[in-house]
Amino acid sequence: MKAFVYRPVQSTQEATTAGSQSAFIAGGTNLVDLMKIDVMTPSELVDINQLPLKGVTLNTEELRIGALERMAQVAERPEVVQEFPVISQALLKSASAQLRNMASIGGNLMQRTRCGYFRDVETPCNKRNPGSGCPAFEGENRMHAILGVSDACCATHPSDLAVALVALDATITLQGPNGTRSAKLDDFYLLPGNTPDREHDIQPGELITEVKVPRQPWYRRSVYLKIRDRESYEFALCSAAVALQLDGQIVRDARVAAGGVGTKPWRLPDVAEALIGKQVSKSAFETAAEQAAAGAKPLKQNAFKVTLLKRTIARALIQAGGIA
Amino acid sequence: MERKSDHTASDQLAPPCTSGTEDLGSSRRQFLGRLAALSAGFSLVNPTARAATESTTDPSGKMQDTPEQAGLVDVRLQVNGHPHRLRIDPRVTLLDALRERCNLPGTKKGCDQGACGACTVLLDGTRVVSCLTLAIMAQGKKITTIEGLAQGEQLHPVQAAFVACDGFQCGYCTPGQIMSAVGCISEGHTKSEAEIREFMSGNICRCGAYPNIVDAIKVAAAQAKEVAAQ
Amino acid sequence: MNPTTPFSGQTVDRVDGKLKVTGRALYAADHPVENLCHGYLIQSSIPRGTIAAMDVTEAQASPGVLAIFTPFNPLKLYTPLGQGEGAISGDFIPLLQNPEVHYFGQTIGLVVAESFEQARDAAALVKVNYQAQPAVIDVDAGLGQAYPPKSVNDLSATVSVFADGVSSIDAALGEAEVSVSGTYSNPIEHHNPMEPHATTAVWSENRLTIYDATQWVQGQQRNLAAVLDVDEADVRVICPFVGGAFGCKGSMWMHSPLTAAAARVLNRPVKTVLTRGQMFTAVGHRPIVRQTVTLGANRDGTLTAVKHEAVSSTSRVKLFVESAAHRTSLALYKAPNILVSHRVVPLDIAPGTFMRAPGVAPGMFALESAMDELAVKLGIDPVELRLRNYATVDPNKKLPWSSKHLDECYRVGAERFGWSDRHAEPATARDGDWLVGTGMATALYPAHRSKAEAKIRLQADGTASISSATHDLGTGMYTVLAIVASQSLGIPVDRIRPVLGDSALPLSPVAGGSQSTASVGPAVLSAAESAKKKLIAAAIAGQRSPLSGMKGDQVSFENGELRAGSKSIPFEQVLAALGRASIDGSGTASAGEEEHQYAFLSFGAQFCEVRVNEWTGEARVSRFTSVMDIGTVVSSKTARSQVIGGIVFGIGMGLLEATQMDPRSGWIANRNIAEYLVPTNADVPKIEVELLNFPDTVFNPLGARGIGEIGIAGVPSAIANAIFNATGKRVRDLPIRPESLLTEPGHPNLA
Repeated sequence: MKAFVYRPVQSTQEATTAGSQSAFIAGGTNLVDLMKIDVMTPSELVDINQLPLKGVTLNTEELRIGALERMAQVAERPEVVQEFPVISQALLKSASAQLRNMASIGGNLMQRTRCGYFRDVETPCNKRNPGSGCPAFEGENRMHAILGVSDACCATHPSDLAVALVALDATITLQGPNGTRSAKLDDFYLLPGNTPDREHDIQPGELITEVKVPRQPWYRRSVYLKIRDRESYEFALCSAAVALQLDGQIVRDARVAAGGVGTKPWRLPDVAEALIGKQVSKSAFETAAEQAAAGAKPLKQNAFKVTLLKRTIARALIQAGGIA
Repeated sequence: MERKSDHTASDQLAPPCTSGTEDLGSSRRQFLGRLAALSAGFSLVNPTARAATESTTDPSGKMQDTPEQAGLVDVRLQVNGHPHRLRIDPRVTLLDALRERCNLPGTKKGCDQGACGACTVLLDGTRVVSCLTLAIMAQGKKITTIEGLAQGEQLHPVQAAFVACDGFQCGYCTPGQIMSAVGCISEGHTKSEAEIREFMSGNICRCGAYPNIVDAIKVAAAQAKEVAAQ
Repeated sequence: MNPTTPFSGQTVDRVDGKLKVTGRALYAADHPVENLCHGYLIQSSIPRGTIAAMDVTEAQASPGVLAIFTPFNPLKLYTPLGQGEGAISGDFIPLLQNPEVHYFGQTIGLVVAESFEQARDAAALVKVNYQAQPAVIDVDAGLGQAYPPKSVNDLSATVSVFADGVSSIDAALGEAEVSVSGTYSNPIEHHNPMEPHATTAVWSENRLTIYDATQWVQGQQRNLAAVLDVDEADVRVICPFVGGAFGCKGSMWMHSPLTAAAARVLNRPVKTVLTRGQMFTAVGHRPIVRQTVTLGANRDGTLTAVKHEAVSSTSRVKLFVESAAHRTSLALYKAPNILVSHRVVPLDIAPGTFMRAPGVAPGMFALESAMDELAVKLGIDPVELRLRNYATVDPNKKLPWSSKHLDECYRVGAERFGWSDRHAEPATARDGDWLVGTGMATALYPAHRSKAEAKIRLQADGTASISSATHDLGTGMYTVLAIVASQSLGIPVDRIRPVLGDSALPLSPVAGGSQSTASVGPAVLSAAESAKKKLIAAAIAGQRSPLSGMKGDQVSFENGELRAGSKSIPFEQVLAALGRASIDGSGTASAGEEEHQYAFLSFGAQFCEVRVNEWTGEARVSRFTSVMDIGTVVSSKTARSQVIGGIVFGIGMGLLEATQMDPRSGWIANRNIAEYLVPTNADVPKIEVELLNFPDTVFNPLGARGIGEIGIAGVPSAIANAIFNATGKRVRDLPIRPESLLTEPGHPNLA
């Protein structure tokens, strides 16, 4: 861990003066881990825990979650459990109880990939050290992405929460030295392209202050399904966030996204589109899910994720459709 | 079983403790003094040069890094009801502060990466992993470790249940399991065996005592409920 | 205790429980030491080559750094002891003595600083310049260099047993009415005890006291003395509590002497704790094993030939043989023709070592999967097939077993599990979209014992201390020995004070190979008899003794009391009358002639139910029943926990564990415990354990065989067999993960 200056701040304005060598710290569950292995080397740690960025509110339009809310708290808020089960479930399937008690919502959305090459400063990595190369393509890539892969990077985005949020078209509010702006979360995450080091549409000093999720009554019919090798405390091999609007047995609208397979939380609008107007049935869901892996670029060890992705989406839809 | 090497209630051993680095001056001086005595064939990194450039000599002749040079900060922790004043590097995690500076080695380091739960402690009653908590950020919070759970020789109900149900084998993950179990019970995540399993999955037990841990938590949770009902 | 009456066990809480639940049990990195400084290892980032240079300038200038030891600034270390020298060495040569790199993650330096953070962060500043050479990491690439080791489990690399007139195993297989053949594999697995290896070395006037995480304080003592060039008597190794080991703390690994040597040079106590990542290359692993098992049988299921060929990986620089075939197929079934063989593939990887049920865990996966394949092919119930091939003498040595009740294990297990209710036809049981299957397998593990000594001290406060240099690795040894002493002295367990884990205590073998109860337990019995005799002698001789002047045969020791005629006096009163603080008895125990007259094995039967999601292929164990025949159950509570723990370890081996090594570099992708997956609480169902209690007094007077390792044996195959039963898919490669089960026939019926 590189030496740093610790600076607790009392106001958001004070926080946004942070420079490019600074890092915001809330729960620290990802940052402290990465600092210990020198993957992140901020010279200043800006402790934002005292900022007034808490609270979960629900009105007729939207759900608003303060960026400093802890994952565990949000997961168990009745308005989240009832109106946005996919968000609650995604949170509860994340990490462990202890980590969920610590980690903030904003921090969760900023967490870095678990790619082992990224996490080892002695290996090349285009994300950590642009232009140094990527050993994962020909190396250990079972856990890696099949969607959104560029020649430079195939690292998976690790967040479960982000998958649920992009499925529901969430936006985030960012406050920075030049004021406040709003961004669609899906746009906030960048594809690796030739610049896998640029993961987010964010500027130095900018801070996520809030997450907003549009409210739709039918989001009550939503599911987060996470497939992993072991039953708990593991990053996803593949996950699905789905919400279905049903009119009797006909799908009127749908939201679908996948995790564990993309270089960013992966929306699947084509799958959602294919569901509209269809009768609720396993076969309809399975047919729609066939499109989930369109454009997939499987690697040697993760080719199974193509099938797994389709099956995960289908299974989640069946669950959400109430025909399991 | 009594063992002479076991320390007694750690809190009694732990006056407001000082950091290892605070004593650095005297230890370095001793070290320098011994250099000459070292046998040939063992060359050491040039400590003399280092000391000359990075240390100052205080009026007593003691060589010491200035706090600014060493980047040390004052940190006050409230552990098991006792205050601890440390002068430490901000890089020190709560786990290492407890173990190496507060003489409270009950909290264990299993992975140092938030992946095993052996270092679980309570911060203001909430279970967290101390390996990913910087000590400097735990200031102002009530820290409870395994050493602070029992009332003297009277075990906390969770501790007693772990003994009765044999909820451990080697015992290394046990402090973390127990602190996590206390948190799990107070969170109310003990409504079924399945719920206990899931909410205790942040604590890895390589000995595989899980079924007995679940039994112990059921027992302790039922007791807690009874107490609450009274 | 009268040695002729069978020993009976007890059900008591773990006697070290209170220390463990209060955080007062001190592990290797917990001992408070004054003036401590901290060591941090530097490991190589290439698999093979030479270190051209190491630039330590920046590191040595960073705050708090006391010394940086490298091959260019080494600590002198001598060669560790070899086999048969009373120690086990994990590393091949003393590290840092030359700039050669033999594997990824080899220790190439030690940074010592005032604080842990300073040492860690300085280590990251050391720059290493390598001259790399080509390395062979991948087993397939190394197969051409595979060779049969000189010795496999103390036997030849190939061992065969043929019926009269049979010329070869292939000839016997050719004659078989039915045969099955399959190749089975497991990847590298890592022990990952929760306690990382840790060493705290303290020198005082040329004498070393070392707090070390080890399964063998006395082996470590001898080895440290050899490597550090000091007298054995000047080394004391202390390790009262071990935070899990599973084999990786049985050997001496080089961080221990390195830390001790640094402490000697710096003249300050040094503590080195390995990081979780460093443990993936510094302290051993279970090798890759590939096994081909071919079974020939008659249509009634009688085995006519068993051919079991194993290939395992080994570090090129330190041979380790994971003897999968020898330890299983030579011991389990009554086949007239058996051939086992072993080859090792030398690779440029870190040394392997014993890991819970070495050889047996992989070997039983292969053999017991093959038996299931045969059962399926013949349409014979898997339990019945095993009973039809039940061996009553050791198939290789042709010796009778000291005690064998495996048939009872099958019977009780099948009954408890409800085996008769199973769907024999694969892929016919489901619960929603979960395919449900059941499977079983045999468990076995050799019963070992070694020479051991113990001391019992009857104390004036009415307690008795017992001591031996063995360990409680979580195995329950404190409790086991307390029970043995309690029974033999006739006083309650809470008056026994066991003291273990100190090289200064009486002789004990390595706490490995499931041998501690069978080795040290009898020594405690013997020590108890000695203490009783000495007490009686003192009571008779002592002038102020209430039994003064009586004859030896008039006095007996029963239930903690000396009895003579109508007199009955608690031993503490006798001691008080004699003015003695204590009386010691020492005992030694070792195997006798029976060693050559019998074969010794523990047995068991494993039954499980597994659910596989038909959409996404994840397998979950939902029910487990295990019945074990392990001789006398000394401590039922801890013994049951040992079996549960073995099963959980087996669930890991079956479904989760795999060290992912980049075949180009030996770099390990998941050298952390977030991605090296071991079971979590949510992965483990209720586990029913039944311990048969047939004392094996041929083996030792206690009648107990070991129980630390057998729990894992057969578990991966029971799981694989259950998965076959659930899905119709036979998976022969561990771990069995979703990608193995996605294709067929888990594909759902379209509604």
